Amino acid sequence: MQPEAVELIVLAAAALAFAVAFSPRAASRRELLGKGSVGIVGAAAIAAVPTFDLALFVVLALGVVHSVVEGKRPLALRLRGPVVAVTLLALGAVFARVQGPDVLERLAAVGIVAGLAAAVGVLPYLHPIDPEEQLTSSPVVWLAFVGPVLAAVIVERAQSLLPVDAAGAFGALLIGLGLVNVVWGGAAAWLTESEAAAWRYSFVADWGLVLCGLGLIVADGQRAAILVLFSIVLCRLPLCLVSLEAPREKAVTRRPVNLVVAAALAGSAPFAGFAARLLLLRAATQLFWPLAVVLAAGMLLWLPGSLRLGRSLGLPKGRQAVGVALVLAVNVAVGLYPLPLLLAAHL
Amino acid sequence: MVEAAAAFVAWLGASVVVLSDGRRGLALGVALGAAGIAVIALDVAGPIAAGSIALGGLVAAAGRLGSGREGWHIMPAGSTPRLVLCIAAGLLALWVAAGVATGPGAPLRFTAMVVIGLSGARVLGGEDAPVLFTATGLLALSVALAAGTGLNAPEPWPFLAAAILAGSIAWISPRPVRAA
Amino acid sequence: MPSAAVLAPVVLPFLAAAVIAGFGITGISLGRTAAAAGAWSSAVALVAVWLPVRSSLELLLGQLGYGSALDLRLDGVSFAFGLMIVLPAAVLLTLQPRTWQETAIALLGVGAAMAAVEGGGVLLTAIAGGTAATVAVVLLETEDPAAPRPSWALLLAGWLALSLGGVILQVGGGTAVYSAVPVATVTGALFALLAASALLASCLLPWRMWPSKLWSRPSLRAAGISIATLYPLGFYLLVRAYELGDGRYPSPFFNVVLAMIGLGTAFSAAARAQAAATRREFFGEVIPGLGGFALASIALGTPLGLVAGLVILATASAFVACLALLPDRAGVASLVTVAAAVGLPPGIAFGARVLGVAGAFEAGDFLGLVGIAGAAVWATWMVAGARAIGLPGGRGHPAAETFPRVAMFIAAGTLLLGPAIAAFQLGFANPVAAEVMRSSAAPLGGGLTSVITVSSLLPAVTLFAPLLVIAIVAYAVSSTSAIKTQARPALFKLPSFALVAQARAAVRAATVPEQYRSILNVRELEAAAAGGGMVLWLVALVALAFAVTR
Repeated sequence: MQPEAVELIVLAAAALAFAVAFSPRAASRRELLGKGSVGIVGAAAIAAVPTFDLALFVVLALGVVHSVVEGKRPLALRLRGPVVAVTLLALGAVFARVQGPDVLERLAAVGIVAGLAAAVGVLPYLHPIDPEEQLTSSPVVWLAFVGPVLAAVIVERAQSLLPVDAAGAFGALLIGLGLVNVVWGGAAAWLTESEAAAWRYSFVADWGLVLCGLGLIVADGQRAAILVLFSIVLCRLPLCLVSLEAPREKAVTRRPVNLVVAAALAGSAPFAGFAARLLLLRAATQLFWPLAVVLAAGMLLWLPGSLRLGRSLGLPKGRQAVGVALVLAVNVAVGLYPLPLLLAAHL
Repeated sequence: MVEAAAAFVAWLGASVVVLSDGRRGLALGVALGAAGIAVIALDVAGPIAAGSIALGGLVAAAGRLGSGREGWHIMPAGSTPRLVLCIAAGLLALWVAAGVATGPGAPLRFTAMVVIGLSGARVLGGEDAPVLFTATGLLALSVALAAGTGLNAPEPWPFLAAAILAGSIAWISPRPVRAA
Repeated sequence: MPSAAVLAPVVLPFLAAAVIAGFGITGISLGRTAAAAGAWSSAVALVAVWLPVRSSLELLLGQLGYGSALDLRLDGVSFAFGLMIVLPAAVLLTLQPRTWQETAIALLGVGAAMAAVEGGGVLLTAIAGGTAATVAVVLLETEDPAAPRPSWALLLAGWLALSLGGVILQVGGGTAVYSAVPVATVTGALFALLAASALLASCLLPWRMWPSKLWSRPSLRAAGISIATLYPLGFYLLVRAYELGDGRYPSPFFNVVLAMIGLGTAFSAAARAQAAATRREFFGEVIPGLGGFALASIALGTPLGLVAGLVILATASAFVACLALLPDRAGVASLVTVAAAVGLPPGIAFGARVLGVAGAFEAGDFLGLVGIAGAAVWATWMVAGARAIGLPGGRGHPAAETFPRVAMFIAAGTLLLGPAIAAFQLGFANPVAAEVMRSSAAPLGGGLTSVITVSSLLPAVTLFAPLLVIAIVAYAVSSTSAIKTQARPALFKLPSFALVAQARAAVRAATVPEQYRSILNVRELEAAAAGGGMVLWLVALVALAFAVTR
C-alpha cells in the first residue's frame, strides 16, 4: 500500500476515535463508531486494491452504501457525486489507455481531475448539503474522511496511468481548480448564511490547497498536500464535530478558546496549517514564483471564515473541552515539527 | 463483426436504461447492456470475465424486475432530450473510438465510452432509486471494460468485481428518504 | 558555554507558562511571582549566556520538515532585541495583577518573540513571529474582546510575506539562514517583500495603527505585553536584512524609501500627538513616534544610523513598560514621562536623535534632507509634549495596574542615561552593527564617554552631564502649580485624516446599484454553485476540457 494512503487511513481512524471518545451522547458514539468503521474499511480498500480500476469499484460501492444510510437529502443527490466521479475517472482511464493524438491524453487528465473533484465534492462539483443532516450522511464524509485517502490514491495511480505529456496538463488542472477552490471556499466560508455550509466551504478551501500541492509536481508540493490533509482530518473535522454538537447559544460567544480554534483553522503559526502553507509556498516558488504570491494572498482569505467558525464552537465543556485541547496540541506539535509525519508518508 | 454487433447491443442496452422508467424496461436495458459487454469481454479478457459480466448482468436484471415502477415505461412522454442524448452520445463515442483514437479495439473503446457516459448521465438526471441503482450497476459493468482498454491480457478481477457490484446494487431497496 | 544554553531564554517562559497553566487548571493561581520568575529568568539567561562569550553562540538541531533545521543563534542582534522584548515584559508581568490565563498567554508570547529573535533563519523567525502575533491577538481578546486590537489579517499578512521571502531565499540560495544566505540572492524584489513584511509586522505606517490604538484600551495589561513582544520584531527584520545583504540593502533606493516611511510615521504620530485631546492620547503616539525615528535612522545604511536607531528602539522599549504603568492623572510622573518621551535634553532619546540626525547628514545625498526633515518632526514633538503637559489625563485605567513611581523611575532613567549614551552604544548597539555590517568601512569609534563618527565627535559625558545638572536645577526652581489641566486647541490639523476617514466610510457604504443586484446576487450564485445542478456539472466539464485542449 502507498505510505501516504496508509498514513491518511491511520489519521482517519484517529479522527474516528476522537469522534467516538469525545462525542457528548452515547447513542451518537455507537452510531459514529459503526458508520465510521465502514468508512475506514472503505478507505482502506481504496488504498489496498492493486489497480486504479478496482479502486473505482470500491468508490462506487462506498458511494452506494453512503447514499442509503439514513439521511435527509434525496438519494439522487447523495448518489450523484460518487457516480459522476466514477464515470469521469473511468472515462479518464479509457482516454489515457487508448492510442491516439495528444488531445486524448489531455482529456484523460480532465477526466481524472474532474472525477477527483466530483468524488471529494469540491468546485465545480460541490455536493448539495442539508444543514440539518448528520455528519455521517453529509458530504463532509467525502471531504474529510474518505476523500483524503482517495485523493492520495487517485493522484498516485494517475501519474502512472497518464503519459508524460499529459502530466503537465494534469498538474495545471489541479492547480487551477485548487486556486478556484481556495478563493471560493475562503470567501464563502465567510459570507454564507448557514453555519453548516460555512464549515463545508472551509473544507473546500483547504482542499484548494491540497489540489495545488498535488498539482505542483515537486516533493514539497506533495508534502504540503499531506500536511493540509492532516489538518483536514485531525483539525478541521474534529472541530467541526464539536461545533455541530455544541449548544445553540454558541453563536454569541467570543472567548479566547474560540480565537485559538480560529487560529488553528486559519493556518496561523504555530499550527499545522502554517507549516503546510510554508511548504506550499516553497513548492510554488520552485516552479513559478508568481503562483506563490497568488497563493500567499489567497491564504489570507481563511481568516474571516475561521473567526466565524471558531466562534461556532461556543465554550466547550467536559470531555469536549479535553478533545479540543487535544486537537490543538496535536496540531501545534505537527506545525512545529512536521518531519515525522512526512517521513511516515515517505515524503 | 461480432464485436461491432455487441457494441451496438451494449449501446442499445444503455440507451434503454436511459429511456426507461419502469422495472421491465430497466431490466431489459441492463440485460442487453451486460450481454453486449460480456461478448466484448470474452474477446478482451477471456471466458471468466465474460461469464462474470453475463452473470452479474443477469442477477442485476432479475433484481430489477423485483422492484421499481410496474411495466416498461420506455420513452415516456417528455423523454425526447434523453433520446437525443442517447443518439448524440453514440455518435460522439463512435467518432472518438473509431475516428480520433487509433489502433485495434474500436468496439471496446466505443462500448466503454458510451456505456460509462450514458450510465453516468442517467444517474445525473434520475430521481427514483430503481433507476439510479440500475444505472449504477450498468456503470460498474462498463468500468470493467475500461480496465480492459489498452491492455493485452487484462486480469479477470475487475470483471468479477463489477459483476458482484452490479448484482448486489440491483437488490438494494433503500429506506424511504425524508423530505429534503 | 554549551550551545544548548541558547535554548534557555526561549524555553524558560514556555516552562513558566506551562506550570502556571497546570496549577491554574487545578484552581491554584501562582500569581505574579511565577510570572516574574518566567520572564526574569529569560532575561537573566539571555544576559548570562551572552555576556561571557560576547560572540555568536549557535545551536543546530535536526531538520524540522520544511527545509529548515532547528537553528537557534544568540548573537549581538538577538541579544539586543531579546532585551528589548523581555525586559519591559518582565517589568509588567512582575507588577501588574493578572489572571493565570492572561499570565500564561503573556509568557507564551514572550517565549515566541524570544524564539523569533533567536531563530537562525528567516523561516524560523516567521514561524515564531507569527506565533507571537497569534498569541498577542488571543491575549488582547482574553482581556477585553470589545477593546481595540491589531488586525489579525494585517499581522498574518506580514508574517506570511516573510515566510514567502524565506522560501524564496531557500529556493534561490539554498538556505534562509541569516549568516549563510548568498548576497546575490537578496534581489530588489525579494528585499521589497522582506521590507514590506517588516513594516506590516510592526505596523510602521504613517497612519494610526495598533501600536497607537492599543493605548486607548480600558486596561493596559495586555496592550503593554503585546507591544513589547510584537513591536520590535519588524525592526529586527530590517536589521537582519543588513546581514543578508552583507551590510547593505540591495539598492540605496530602499534606504531612502524606508527612511521616508519612518519619517512619515514619526511625523504622522507627532501630528496626532499635538492634536491629542487627552494626555493618554498623546502617550499613545509616543511608541509610533519613536518607532518612526528608529526606522528613519536604521534605514540610513550606516553604522551610526543603525546604532542611533537601536538606541531609540531601546528607549521605546523602556517606554512600553513606563506608559503601561503610568496612571492617567497629572503629577510629577506624567511630567517627567512627557519630558523624556519627546526627547528633552539630555535624555537618551535626545542623544539618540542627535546621533540619528548626524548619521543622516553623514549618509549624504538625499538622506541629508531626511535629517533636516527629522529635525523638523522632532520640533513638532517638542511642541506636542509642551502642550500635553496641560491636557486632561483621559480615561484612567484601573489603579491596581498602575505604578506611578516605577513609571517615573523608568522615564527619569531614560533622562539620566543621556550622558551614558556612549557607554550604551558601546555595550548594546555596537555589537549589533558589528554583526550585521561587518564589511562597513566606517566602524564606530569612541569609548565610554564619547561617540566618534566619520566626521564628528560627540563628547556625551562632557556635553550631557552639565545639561543634566542644568535641567535638574531648572526643575527644582520652577513650580508645576502653574500647570492647569484643560482642553487645548491643536496646533494644526492634518486634512488627510478626514479624507481617509471619508474614503473609508464611502467604501464601507458602497453597495451594488439596484439595477445590477439581480446579476450580482451572491446568495443565488452560491445556490447555483452548490446545488449540484446537472447543467453546471456538464458545463464545468466542457470548460475544463476546453481549457486544456485549446
